[in-house]
Amino acid sequence: MSLKTKKARGIERLKIRYGRMFILPWFIGLLLFFLIPLVSSIAYAFSKVDLSNGISMKFIGLENFKTLLGTNPDYERNIRAAVSSFFTSLPIILSLSLIFAVVLNQKFRGRLLARAIFFLPVIIATGVVMQYIMGNKIGSSGSASGAALSTALGGGDSAMRFSAVLTKLGLPDRVTLLLNDYIADVFNLIWSCGIQILLFVAGMQSIPDQMYEVSKIEGATTWEEFWYVTFPMLGNVILLVLIYTMVDQITAYDNPVMNQAYDFVGKNIDMYGDSAAALWLYFVIVGVLSGIVLFAYQRVFLRRWN
Amino acid sequence: MKTRAQYKRYTRSKAGNFFYFFFLTLFGLFSVLPIIYTICTSLKPLEEIMIFPPRFFVTRPTFENYAALPKLLATLRVPLSRYVFNSIFVSVATTILHILIASMAAFVLSKLKFKGCTAIFVLVQFALLYNAYTLAIPQYVIFSKLQIIDTYLVYILPYLPSTLGVFLMKQFIDSSVPDALLEAGRIDGAGFFRIYRQVALPIIRPAWLTLALFAFRDLWSMQPQGTIFSEELKMLPTVLSTISAGGIARSGSAMAATVILLIPPVTVYMVTQGSVMETMGSAGIKE
Repeated sequence: MSLKTKKARGIERLKIRYGRMFILPWFIGLLLFFLIPLVSSIAYAFSKVDLSNGISMKFIGLENFKTLLGTNPDYERNIRAAVSSFFTSLPIILSLSLIFAVVLNQKFRGRLLARAIFFLPVIIATGVVMQYIMGNKIGSSGSASGAALSTALGGGDSAMRFSAVLTKLGLPDRVTLLLNDYIADVFNLIWSCGIQILLFVAGMQSIPDQMYEVSKIEGATTWEEFWYVTFPMLGNVILLVLIYTMVDQITAYDNPVMNQAYDFVGKNIDMYGDSAAALWLYFVIVGVLSGIVLFAYQRVFLRRWN
Repeated sequence: MKTRAQYKRYTRSKAGNFFYFFFLTLFGLFSVLPIIYTICTSLKPLEEIMIFPPRFFVTRPTFENYAALPKLLATLRVPLSRYVFNSIFVSVATTILHILIASMAAFVLSKLKFKGCTAIFVLVQFALLYNAYTLAIPQYVIFSKLQIIDTYLVYILPYLPSTLGVFLMKQFIDSSVPDALLEAGRIDGAGFFRIYRQVALPIIRPAWLTLALFAFRDLWSMQPQGTIFSEELKMLPTVLSTISAGGIARSGSAMAATVILLIPPVTVYMVTQGSVMETMGSAGIKE
C-alpha cells in the first residue's frame, strides 16, 4: 500500500517536472519582454531618466508626478477627456455589439458573409496598412477615419453638409454639433466592435437549445426570451467582452493621454521619466475605474443570475 | 388556426425581415466602406486622384496603378523578393513558434495543477492589459542587452510570449479536452509529451488556427520602430511607405499596394473563420 502511494507520488512529481519544462519557454519570454520592462517602467516613473548616453536614471521620488499635475494643465484635461470617452464609448460599444450579435445569430441567407463583413475590421485594423486606408491620420485626432471618409463621400465634407441640413431643420446648434460628432464617431465605434460581436455570437451559439424550447413551451415572447434566457446565459461572455472593451479603449492609439506621453518623448528624449509617470498615473486611474465597473457588474448581475 | 397563429409568432414577419436587412446593410456599410474606398482609389486614373475634394467612386476604372507597381518597385535599393521573403519568413516562423509555446504553456496551466498555476494565470490576464507601446523603451533596453537589435530575432522573440494566445488556449483546453482522455492516454503508456502532441494538440486545432489568424495579422503589417536598421531585414510595409513617399501622384499606386497587402490576412481569415468562432465560444466560459 505504502509502495503504491509512493509510486503515484513519483508519477505526480514527474508530471510536475515535465509541466515546468513545458511552461518554461513561455515564462522566460514573459519575464524578459513583459515583467522586466514593466518593473523598469515603474522605476522610470519615479526617476529622472537620461537616455542620451546609454540609460542612466536618478531616483527623484514623486517629482515627475508633481510636475505633471502642477505645471502641465494639458495632462489633467487629457485624463478627463480619456475618462469621459471611456465611459461614453463603453456602453455604446457593448450594446451595439450585442444588438449586432443578436441579428447576426438569426438564420438568414448570406449570414456567413454578413458575419465576415462585421469581423473584417479586426483583420485589417492593425498596423501600417490601416494607416494608409484611414488617411494616415491615426494618432493625431480621434475621429480621423470618419473625417477622411466623410470628405471622400459625396464629394465634399458631407458631415458639414449634414450639419447644414440639421440647422435648416431648426435644431439648436448644440444638438447639431453633438450629432455631427456622433456621425464621425460611428466609424470608430463600428470598427471597434468586431471582436465583441464575435464573442457574443459564439457565446449565443453555446446556449443549449433546450433552454429556448422550454421558454417556448412556457409561452415566452421573443422579447422575453432574450431578456430571460439569452441575456442571463451570456453573463460570463458579457464579463469577458466588458474586460476586452475596456482594455481596447484604454490602450487605443487615439487616446489623448497616450498621445501626450508620446509627445513627451518626441519633444525631448530626456522626458521619458515624465512619459512613464503620465502613463502610470493614467493606468492607475482607469484601472481603479474599471475595477469598480467590473465589481459592480459582478455584484449586480452575475450574482442575481447564478 | 391555432397552429398557424403559433407558427406566425415564431417566425419573422416581412417587416422584420426588412428591418434586419436594413440594419445589417446600414452598419455593414460602415465597416466595408474604407475597404471599398481603398479599392476604388487604387483603380482611379491620375486625373481622378487629383480631383479635390476627392470623389468616393471611380468613374473610369483603370489598372494603370497596378501596372505601375513593377516599375516603381524596380527602383528599390533592395530587391522586392527580399522584402517578400522577410515578411513571409517572419510571419510564418513566429506564428508557428508562438502557437507551440502558447499551447504548451496553456496545456500545463489547464491540466496540471501545481503551485503557482493560478498566480500565473492571473498574471496572464493582467498582462492582457498592456499594449506594446507602453513598454517600448524598457523593451529596447532588453533588446540591446540581448544584442538582438537589427536581427530577425527582434521581430520574433517579443511576440512569442504574447498572453492573448495563452489565455484563449487555456480557456479552450478547459472546455474541450476532458481529463479522462489524458488519463486514457497515460494508461496506454504514452509519455507526457506524447499525450500533449497526439491527444491534446489535435483536439485544440480550432484554438491554434485562431491564434494563427491573430498572430499572422499582427506580424504581417509590423513595422518596428527603431529596432531594425538594415534595409535587407525590413518587411513589406516598408515598401508601402517608400511608394507613398512619392507624394500624391503616387497615392494611386500606394493604394494598389495596400490592396495587395490586404490579400494574405484576409485569405488566412477565410480559411480559419469557423475555428475562430468555436474558440471564441469557449473564451467566455468561466474558469
